[in-house]
Amino acid sequence: MKTFEEKWTAWLDGQLTGKELIEFEASLPDKAAAKLEKRDAKKLGALLKRELGTHVIANEEFFSHQLRERIARENVEPFREQAAEVPTWWTVRRLFWTGTASLALFFVFAVFVMREKNPAEQSQYLSQILNARVDPVVSPNATISMFEAKGDRVTVLWTEGLQSLPADYAAK
Amino acid sequence: MQTEATLAQADVSEMDLVKRCQAGDPEAFDELVTRYRTRIFGMIYNMVHNEQDAWDLAQDSFVKAWRSIKRFRGRSSFYTWIYRIVMNVTIDWLRKKQVKGVGAEFDDAIQAKQIDPASKTAPKAGALPYEIMERSETRTRIDNAIAQLSPDHRAVILMKEIEEMQYHEIAETLGCSIGTVMSRLFYARKKLQNLLRDVYENI
Repeated sequence: MKTFEEKWTAWLDGQLTGKELIEFEASLPDKAAAKLEKRDAKKLGALLKRELGTHVIANEEFFSHQLRERIARENVEPFREQAAEVPTWWTVRRLFWTGTASLALFFVFAVFVMREKNPAEQSQYLSQILNARVDPVVSPNATISMFEAKGDRVTVLWTEGLQSLPADYAAK
Repeated sequence: MQTEATLAQADVSEMDLVKRCQAGDPEAFDELVTRYRTRIFGMIYNMVHNEQDAWDLAQDSFVKAWRSIKRFRGRSSFYTWIYRIVMNVTIDWLRKKQVKGVGAEFDDAIQAKQIDPASKTAPKAGALPYEIMERSETRTRIDNAIAQLSPDHRAVILMKEIEEMQYHEIAETLGCSIGTVMSRLFYARKKLQNLLRDVYENI
């Protein structure tokens, strides 16, 4: 017992013994007041026991009858519902919903993620410029940076050291 | 007063009943219900102070016990085990009722006041009218005082004072430490002593 509340409760209920009892009683600032409160607690307990301990169920047999009917009506048997449903759920329903959810996730991924990563339209000029860059005769020190703002559908290519544009692009 | 031998016999037959319940025997469960229905109903009634609610909660508790009887391993007595279910069901219900704020706290007390004293259908009791009135007033005072405690404090004081359960049994039932039980008892007693001093001083 650590706190004063715990020790006080144990003392009231006569659960403190030996050294603990002596130490606790010695620590009480007003022993007479404490003993009065102990007497009060006993009286309170007796009152509660007398007034609250006598309430009886009005119709015991009907209570049991209603309970029996309820258990029978709900067909409640210990663990039966869980035990019966688990294999069915796993084999049919859960597999079906798992498959459906996986397909839905795949379509979402295909539509929103894979489409955005399609490089065909955005990088055609980049490919051309890179092709030009690899030619050491044409552009030996070319560097190319790409800035893209997907929300605004804008792509900026920043090139440095490019000696000439690819022929197809220059023609445009 | 039961001897140790009769207590042991009672325990054995109780375990036997539990085993039969676990095998799916509803008659064995019916026997357990018969043994404990009065105590459980009385305890719930002292928590909720309404006959109909106490009846429903006791029914719910027993149905829940039947559903989960296979989980009972016999580490505690059956009564302690079912008491834990009862307390969980009742405290949850009280908390929900407090949150919703629906209905009066003590419906039965209000209903009693609404009964016409001149009614010919009012039940006749053996006690004298002033005794009945005095007893009713005392009961109302106690009910109102208990209503001011939180559900957890209510449970602890009732289990200790009415059921005479030990600290460790209360702790096991409520799923808390013995220290918490003792602390709750301390505050519950202090509050009830302040609210009911004039009542118990006249005993």
